[in-house]
Amino acid sequence: MQFIESIGATTLNFIRVIGKIVLFIYLFFRFIFKPKFYFRHNLKYFIEIFISSIPIIALTGIFSGMVLALQSYTGFSRFSAESAIPNIVVLTLTRELGPVLTGLMISARVGSAIAAEIATMRVTEQIDALKTLNTNYFNYLVTPRVLSLTLAMPIFVTIVDFIGVAGGYLVSVYRLGFNENMYLINTIDFISFSDYLSGVIKATVFGFIISIISCYNGLYSKKGAFGVGSATTNAVVISSILILIFNYFLTEVFF
Amino acid sequence: MEIKIEKLSKKFGANHVLKNINLLIEKNKSTIILGKSGCGKSVLLKIIYQLIKNDEGSIFYDKKKIVDIDKFGMLFQYGALFDSLTVAENIAFIDFIDGKKNYKNKVINSLKEVGLSADIYDKYPSEISGGMKKRVALARALFKNPKVIFLDEPTTGLDPINSDMINELIIRIIKKKKMTAVTITHDIQSALKTGDNYFFLNNGVVEDSGKCNLMLKSKNKLMNEFLLGVKKLQNS
Repeated sequence: MQFIESIGATTLNFIRVIGKIVLFIYLFFRFIFKPKFYFRHNLKYFIEIFISSIPIIALTGIFSGMVLALQSYTGFSRFSAESAIPNIVVLTLTRELGPVLTGLMISARVGSAIAAEIATMRVTEQIDALKTLNTNYFNYLVTPRVLSLTLAMPIFVTIVDFIGVAGGYLVSVYRLGFNENMYLINTIDFISFSDYLSGVIKATVFGFIISIISCYNGLYSKKGAFGVGSATTNAVVISSILILIFNYFLTEVFF
Repeated sequence: MEIKIEKLSKKFGANHVLKNINLLIEKNKSTIILGKSGCGKSVLLKIIYQLIKNDEGSIFYDKKKIVDIDKFGMLFQYGALFDSLTVAENIAFIDFIDGKKNYKNKVINSLKEVGLSADIYDKYPSEISGGMKKRVALARALFKNPKVIFLDEPTTGLDPINSDMINELIIRIIKKKKMTAVTITHDIQSALKTGDNYFFLNNGVVEDSGKCNLMLKSKNKLMNEFLLGVKKLQNS
């Protein structure tokens, strides 16, 4: 009986959290059109996120592209299809690995920072202080983070695509002995704009998911150091899982 | 500003935090709200400031139910300074966030007013001491020239010298600016020094009230137990 009760309680709690997140998204769209917008603050946050994420994005891209080229070669060489490697590298990166890996890395790098910062502000009464200063705390804390990450993710993915293809090129040409011109021609000829666009749309959705989940966990964290820790962990774990789930459904859409 | 509270109640789930509170915060006077931890003092303060909504009862600000919270300022227990902003940006937050840049002189004057030098203008909260943080937080609360200042445990976490300094500062500023002050404190010395009137809360109810200079002569049993507890703690 207790077992069934615990399943019921967990299910109810799950539904409650989903409801609260949906309400949070509604609040975001409601507040975004309400004064004040704090444009300068939004811009500053966008630049901060952008600059701090570039190194990790670049590393993700280069090593993904390099590994992809090596692994593809291992498989494709078994049935003499090595010439397909440039196509596979560029297609896998733009449609799949670019957005997913960038999403997971950004969730760990930026999502955790967002959740920890907002949760700490909550614990130390800084959010109450914002309210006492007649500041629209939602537009000050949530809007810049959600907008910045949602707008930055397509740029991040574009960077990962380029650097990843460059990584694949380096390994293919200098390690596997491909002809450099052939590699580039195969890459450029094979990729279509819709491949790139599908990755960019995925990234935009992932950026929105990461920022909303991280802000939600930070803003509604429990008090104390434990609350800050839980908020950070939940932000990364939930947004990573949601990225993988939404990735499947978006892939179905662009299939 | 005079603040009158009538039959105010607040519940959090099954927890009845404030029960039928009636009190009057006199204009240009310093009112102290005393009570044990968890008796509802901070909730009351946040309801008056309109940060939390009350379930029942009314609050009248100069006989009106609506108030512009720009007329209020608040000093939080641990300062609640924004870690990512400098001292100047914290103090002039309302100007800073609107993109105004000509607040330097006003901030320097605010720093002087709370006894701090302009050297800390560009420092971050993590680079200054606890006493300095409290004074910066006070400067931030005073920056918009509020009519009422709310002080949540202003001397918590400070050594006796810094506590005394903060008390002196509060008295001086309240008198100079002719403000109404509402202070939550456990510090009886501070209450006696800075307060005109007091209200003693216990289990969400106003148990005792009166003039601060007569606080030690209170005949209320619970108030006396509270005072005795504080004295014992101070002696130990």
